[in-house]
Amino acid sequence: MRTTELPAAEAIRPRTVVVGALLATGAAFIAFAALVSVYVQQRQQAAALGEEWFPSGTVELGPAGMMMMTLALSIVTVQWAVQAARAEDRPHGFIALGVTLMFGAAVINQFWFVYQDTAFAIDGGRAELLFYAVTGSFIAMLIAAMAMVTVTTIRSLLGPFGRDLAHAVQASALFWHMCVLCYFLVWYVVFITK
Amino acid sequence: MTLTESPVAESEAAADADGAAAPASPAETLGAPRGLAQPFMTSDAAQVGRLFVVTSLLLGLGAAAIGVLLSLGRTDAVAPDDLFGGLNAYFRMWTLYRASLVLLVVLPLLLGLALAVVPAQVGAGNVAFPRAALASFWSWLIGAVIMVASVLAGGGWGALDGVTGNESDAMALTLLGTGLVIVALLLGAIVVATTVISLRQTGMSLLDVPPFSWSMLVTAVVWLFSLPVAIANIIVIYADLRGRQAIAFGRPESPDIWLQLDWLVEQPAVYAMAVPVLGIVFSAVGKAVDARSSRPEAILVVVGLFGLLAMGGWSQDYFTAPQDLRDGLVYVAFGLAAVVPVVATAGGVGELVMRGSKTRDRLLSTPMLGAGAALKLLGAAALVGALRVIEPLDLLETSATWAVFHGVVAAGLIAGVAALATWSQLLLGPIQQRLAVGAIMLLGVGGGLLVLADLISGFIADDPDLMALALDGNAALNGVVLIGSLLLAAGLAAALFAAASALRARAARERSELERESGARAAGSEAA
Repeated sequence: MRTTELPAAEAIRPRTVVVGALLATGAAFIAFAALVSVYVQQRQQAAALGEEWFPSGTVELGPAGMMMMTLALSIVTVQWAVQAARAEDRPHGFIALGVTLMFGAAVINQFWFVYQDTAFAIDGGRAELLFYAVTGSFIAMLIAAMAMVTVTTIRSLLGPFGRDLAHAVQASALFWHMCVLCYFLVWYVVFITK
Repeated sequence: MTLTESPVAESEAAADADGAAAPASPAETLGAPRGLAQPFMTSDAAQVGRLFVVTSLLLGLGAAAIGVLLSLGRTDAVAPDDLFGGLNAYFRMWTLYRASLVLLVVLPLLLGLALAVVPAQVGAGNVAFPRAALASFWSWLIGAVIMVASVLAGGGWGALDGVTGNESDAMALTLLGTGLVIVALLLGAIVVATTVISLRQTGMSLLDVPPFSWSMLVTAVVWLFSLPVAIANIIVIYADLRGRQAIAFGRPESPDIWLQLDWLVEQPAVYAMAVPVLGIVFSAVGKAVDARSSRPEAILVVVGLFGLLAMGGWSQDYFTAPQDLRDGLVYVAFGLAAVVPVVATAGGVGELVMRGSKTRDRLLSTPMLGAGAALKLLGAAALVGALRVIEPLDLLETSATWAVFHGVVAAGLIAGVAALATWSQLLLGPIQQRLAVGAIMLLGVGGGLLVLADLISGFIADDPDLMALALDGNAALNGVVLIGSLLLAAGLAAALFAAASALRARAARERSELERESGARAAGSEAA
């Protein structure tokens, strides 16, 4: 039998889901970065006119820093899930995804506190409106990331990690990391530099 | 296939197999949904591509009809105020015409072509995420319906004078529709890009990808960098619209909403529609004269450069003083440099023709005519774009902006028709050459007249006048615009007829194949 008559090896497909997720994550990040740049530009304009952006003392750094810490921890847990998926370690994967989800829920809870604490009205002024536009968009993205993690968690409950599910976990992790990066922007631009 | 055969050549041959039956995708052969269920359940990207192509041509006809009415408003025959029942309504239609030509006609047309052609060109059975492709089509269509209906209901992207009652809610609905359309196009772009990146057949590197697939990869990347910025604009506008007592921008009693989004239809972002035109031109000419470029890597560089120059999210001048951005070195450099890849493409096409078979039939074939017309119009648009950024000519805020826009739109439409003729078996079916040539001619002449008239209007305008309403004194020029719009509409109608006849021919062929198969099966069972 000649080698040319042998059946072709199965084509090695790169991680299609991960590539698609990478592109989608990039698009979402660009949208968020554009939003933050509008915020920064408007704040600069206000500063140039000598206008006050936020009334002093309304936006506190404590809860915002706590959210940053929470999301920083979630980077570790989501990577833990990726590693568990690669190693086909179902119990660890399930725990890691669950803890990540809990961190996400905690951040939303803290944002609720921030909204109550600042008590901004959406039509209170340019600063307040853009504050809600930026943070609201971040929360929407975080909810999308949590939905992705929830789906992968449910799928991991239903059966062992296969190659497809491992790729799905990686895709979720990519989007999650992007969300953390977006919050880093919010933390620095909205809460620290005010 | 032996080890000595090139996988690239084989996949390209499959994609270019005009006259032979299109390669059947798995969805076509294995219990694929038929009849009415097909458009809702198909997992065959080629079918989704066909849906995109036909629907975008249909919407294009509607947009062209609005264009004819708007051109009528520039003549002495009807005052713009009277045409749609007020200046506000005229502005709504004026913006709808521009937004719909980009978001509802040219971009989805090119995306549809890509969904059908790219998998075959890169040797993949189907696209990376077939269900996402279908979701992309339906969300685009729903967004398009919301967008058009809300504009007709008094919404739109702002208004020139005051609005009353529910018009503000209708505007919010327009923003929702626009956002949905953009997200759907992004989803389609991700599907196409992932197919090219991940599903190329073994042995095909990115440098081996055929020009059209490469151009769609570049286009997808450009869209992924540009369209999300428009989403951010929409979020800000929507929040602003709801809290309009708070801040000034985006207020419904001004055209400010449009001014935050108009960068999408102006250079450099408008060139994002034209990147696949270069790919179609290279592929169509190569196939027409049966030749391959001696420097395929140069084609990739040229298309990539044009994509780079089509990145437009940064060019919006709403939040800054316009002169800060538009007179800036980067904006001027982008405007001037856009001519280079178009000229390089012309050079590449010349090389292909020199190397290829130069019989009369081949040189006058539909793909060749289409490629030539599309390239000429794109060249004209890029040239006007270069003139526009030269400050002493003072063309920036004049109708020269729309000369670039019309040139790019017409080039995109012509390239679409050329692609339908080039890959007829993969797309709709055998296309009637006369109708296709007629469509190309009408679109070419119509687009050319619009480019010329808008450019001259820009030169003779005393003041910046984007809507060109102040040019009602120039009857001859306005007449040319009207004729150009009419020809563009006629060209789109011819393209739609060509598409419909191709689909009919395809359906007839499929029917006869089914009958032949069932006859053979019956004969077999009788013999048994």
